[in-house]
Amino acid sequence: MTAKDIIHMNELDHSRFKSWGFSQDFCVTCGLCSSSCPATGIDGFDPRKLIRMLSLGLESEVVASRWPWICTLCAKCENVCPMEIDIADAVRRVRSLRDRDKVPGNIHKGLEAALETGNNLRLPKDDYVFILEDVAEEIAEEPGYEGFTVPIDKKGANILTTIHNKLVNTHTEDLKHWWRIFHAAKEDWTVPSENWEGTNWAYFTGDDEAMKIMTGRIVDHMNKLEVKTLMWPE
Amino acid sequence: MATRSGFEKHYPEVFEKFEFVTVFDLLIKYIKEGRIKLDKTRFKGPATYHDPCNYGRKAQKVFGHGYFDEPRWILSQCVENWIDLYPATMNQICCGGGGGTLVNSYNEERTYYGRRKMDQIRATGAGMLVVPCHSCHGQFNSIKKAYDMEGLEVKYLWELVADCMIV
Repeated sequence: MTAKDIIHMNELDHSRFKSWGFSQDFCVTCGLCSSSCPATGIDGFDPRKLIRMLSLGLESEVVASRWPWICTLCAKCENVCPMEIDIADAVRRVRSLRDRDKVPGNIHKGLEAALETGNNLRLPKDDYVFILEDVAEEIAEEPGYEGFTVPIDKKGANILTTIHNKLVNTHTEDLKHWWRIFHAAKEDWTVPSENWEGTNWAYFTGDDEAMKIMTGRIVDHMNKLEVKTLMWPE
Repeated sequence: MATRSGFEKHYPEVFEKFEFVTVFDLLIKYIKEGRIKLDKTRFKGPATYHDPCNYGRKAQKVFGHGYFDEPRWILSQCVENWIDLYPATMNQICCGGGGGTLVNSYNEERTYYGRRKMDQIRATGAGMLVVPCHSCHGQFNSIKKAYDMEGLEVKYLWELVADCMIV
């Protein structure tokens, strides 16, 4: 916001976000949040200003602002807030008010892909299985890992794992660390062949409905594969 | 973080039916039960450790337990010589790659955000930075060149464990 965008008093609406339960109206404007935030100053952002905009009901301004997307939701601000305002959750909620086609970058696009295809990359099942088996064959060639295979959709396994999409994209070498550990520990584990996405970008876009769908898929895997334990996605 | 929050909100019944384990608790279990054996002499260090917001400060607030001690214990089983960042744990500084910023196209802002973190790391003199988070890992590798720290080796905690295993 610049000086030429002066807001007139009659444009304020203190009741606009009253129903939000983040205690944003308790703000005493002390500035501890701004002092602690590593993003303070970037493009004029600081968390105090954003929280004040919510209290004043400046909806169109805060939703159109780049600030909620500069914030990393790290919660350093609320850790020092004397009024215990849930600043990071408030920022996430502001993100949810953005038109979905105006969510910056790839976060909504990746989430849309995941909702439609089961993963952020739109990676077809055959290609995915090929990549996993190819990496498993490489491990099996290492001394001490002879006979290693990747147990896809193994019913009754002890541990269910998910996959971060970058590990079947540009970082396949990083699939190997946990697999080596599982092999050495003689763990009975599995990984799903479909809906394997371990990230949940709905958390970033503020989309609670999508978050429910994405987490529900993991619940479906646990039930269908009759696993005992879920390893929380790293 | 997202998955556990989603389960607590939408599928609370799963906590009765299934067990859940974090990457930290699983690694600690394998090490304590002797299912994996580690060689502490492979990496001389000094190394350092970064607390991800979601496993630390946010987990403490949302779930009542921040994973601060667990990763440090695991690190101690792998490397003798490691130094904590300052400040760490609840007052840790975010790497700048959280909240979707790695994929929201605000790359210049994200790189600048990381300046305080990179200063902290530089101050330890560590050649290896250990992280237990995919976003932090991606962020550090993405910005280290901009801070003249290309030599910094960024390693997943479980990668370090796998690399120290005696098989």
